[in-house]
Amino acid sequence: MIPLSYFLILGAILFALSVMGIFLNRKNVVILLMSIELMLLAVNMNFIAFSHYLQDISGQIMVFFILTVAAAESAIGLAILITLFRRRQTINVDDLDTLKG
Amino acid sequence: MNFVAPDISPVIPEIFVLSMACLILVADLYLSDRFRIVSFLLAVGTLLGAAFLTLSDMGAERVYTFSNMFVDDTLSDVLKLAIYALVFVVFVYSRRYTQDRGLFRGEYFVIGLFGTVGMMVMVSASHLLTLYLGLELLALSLYTMVAFQRDSATATEAAMKYFVLGAMASGMLLYGMSMLYGVTGSLEIAVIKARVAELGVDNLILVFGLVFVVVGLAFKLGAVPFHMWVPDVYHGAATSTTLYISTAPKLAGFAILIRLLIGGLEDLSAVWQDMLIILAVLSIGIGNLIAIAQTNIKRMLAYSTIAHMGFLLLGILSATPNGYSSALFYALVYAFMSLGGFGMILMLSRKGFEAENLDDFKGLNQRSPWHAFLMLILMFSMAGIPPTVGFYAKFGVIQSLIDVGLVWLAVVAVLFAVIGAFYYLRIIKLMYFDDPETDAPVQATVDMQVLLSVNAWALILVMPWLGSIIDLCRRAIAGL
Amino acid sequence: MTFELLTFFFFSAVLVFASAMVITIRNPVKAALFLVLAFFSAACLWVLLEAEFLGIVLILVYVGAVMVLFLFVVMMLDVNLARMREGFGEYLPMGAIVAILMVAEMAIVLGSGEFSLANMPQPAGHPEGYSNTKELGRLIYTVYVYPFEIAALILLVAIVAAIALTLRKRPNTKHQNTAQQIQVKRSDRVRLVKMPSEKKPEN
Repeated sequence: MIPLSYFLILGAILFALSVMGIFLNRKNVVILLMSIELMLLAVNMNFIAFSHYLQDISGQIMVFFILTVAAAESAIGLAILITLFRRRQTINVDDLDTLKG
Repeated sequence: MNFVAPDISPVIPEIFVLSMACLILVADLYLSDRFRIVSFLLAVGTLLGAAFLTLSDMGAERVYTFSNMFVDDTLSDVLKLAIYALVFVVFVYSRRYTQDRGLFRGEYFVIGLFGTVGMMVMVSASHLLTLYLGLELLALSLYTMVAFQRDSATATEAAMKYFVLGAMASGMLLYGMSMLYGVTGSLEIAVIKARVAELGVDNLILVFGLVFVVVGLAFKLGAVPFHMWVPDVYHGAATSTTLYISTAPKLAGFAILIRLLIGGLEDLSAVWQDMLIILAVLSIGIGNLIAIAQTNIKRMLAYSTIAHMGFLLLGILSATPNGYSSALFYALVYAFMSLGGFGMILMLSRKGFEAENLDDFKGLNQRSPWHAFLMLILMFSMAGIPPTVGFYAKFGVIQSLIDVGLVWLAVVAVLFAVIGAFYYLRIIKLMYFDDPETDAPVQATVDMQVLLSVNAWALILVMPWLGSIIDLCRRAIAGL
Repeated sequence: MTFELLTFFFFSAVLVFASAMVITIRNPVKAALFLVLAFFSAACLWVLLEAEFLGIVLILVYVGAVMVLFLFVVMMLDVNLARMREGFGEYLPMGAIVAILMVAEMAIVLGSGEFSLANMPQPAGHPEGYSNTKELGRLIYTVYVYPFEIAALILLVAIVAAIALTLRKRPNTKHQNTAQQIQVKRSDRVRLVKMPSEKKPEN
């Protein structure tokens, strides 16, 4: 028997790791995008766990759509990344400093 | 289980805009650059058509369809009409600017219309799933529009920052939504409301989820301390895109705030009120103070937007119907002021020249007294000086605060509004008392001249109808 | 400790380890591969939660398409790895402390008893013959048809955006234009020249 809270704490760990990944990563935008994927994985873990323990399938449907949106999102994110790299020859977060003030 | 085919009649405006966007997407392939204007006219016509469809179906009662995922009420009708009008004017204003910069492409209008569909979905959402999908549809369209100017280093950088922070905000919002789902067992906002009423304020998990929801929404609205993307995106993006971002999406953001916090979680108002007070005070304070230090007018207006969002939150946090309707009125007024403000920057920009700095407004009165006067009205309205409508918007919000006894908050808001008036008035001083740095004439297409004049004058001339507009806002909130 | 619990701990441990590697490792290719591992273990946990369809989708769509896209982009961009390695350590201890605090706080809230076994017991498994895929499919095409259409639109936006942002015409690449090739007439290519026959040179 696994209590629901185990799954939720697992989700919380993933969420904290992804937030840390976003704030710590000063060097590489690709890893930022991966951290965002991790964050969505944490959310999906929560939804599926709730869906199972509540015996209500709408949580799984939510995950289905989050996965769809996340795929579209990463496609656009990578497209922006490519235009950025073509323009600047860098994907280093620290180098993105033209906009300040 | 029996499934009954849903009634699609309330969704016809969405279907129309979507089909037209797809039509433009295909038709644009066969147009050469000389006939690109056809895509523009189709896009503008789409918005007029959608306005006609929404107006013709504007009933007083609330209609749910698609298994309670879509709601059509007065609030959604009012906001949708405002969104059509704003996007319409955005397209007209940005025509010459985009033509000069190689951005006048079919995809620009298609993505702009897709974003409009996203806003319409958000405005009519009565289910967490549709709310999220509409939000993402809009956000993905906006990231793309910012990155559209791909030969500009600042635009791509702004797009990247916007994307990362926006995606993170969505993650936060979703995490909060997952908690709401876990506690209430439903994604439907009406059911969530009923369950929250049973559980009450003492439920720790509910409050825990609410924190994430509020943080996610604050990111999307650009409230301090989650505002860092706003100035960079406003500054880095092409002015035509900034114009789009700063107008209609704010109304959509207001709509999801209403749908979630008031439609679903009003019984937790004691909890979110405190959070919104912090966000609002910080936004009004920091927004107005940092705006003073800016030399780039797009950045300055970005900080001014942050301050305006703070005022919007002030209206909501009073947690009374009067407060909500004053916030709705504020959101509408803000969107049209921002439309005029960025429209003015577009007008002063020429091929190969961006009127981005405050110095570019120097001596505008000598170059063109009419435009200087329009800018004067816009700045007065943003600062909240009577007899402009901006004054009444601020007045309504502050009135609602005093009604619930938050007098100290009202005093703080007024104090910062006065500080904020300084940087708006500085522009007026530059326009009227300084010498111009250039004598290039102010040129613009006739349609833009007319619309911009109407846009600015409307902020004063709307006075006789002010009562009925405020009344409409009240009815929209009452119909929730 | 039951088998179920053992499976849960095993896959969670792999998942947490892989996620931690994703955000700390410097080489983006390795990070992408660790993310694949993370998705894989998450999919196993989802199957444990009777979400079989989504578990499979996570592997097929995520590992199969999205992560390949990531790897493709990482390899396409010529990233300077030497610079990537500088100065990460300075923030790491601070970040780790914040993350641990965050997890601790969230764990206190989430483990507070609201979601304990007593309050929310693990449900009995579905009866034989129940198909998770069928159930999801039935709902998505009926009750959830409106979000389904919006999701389709989101994918369309992604297609338009990805093409509009990255497609560029290079002036110096050589393309084969089939239409032009087919339309060629004999007169474009062959020129018949009438020449007077020459006299045989006299030797």
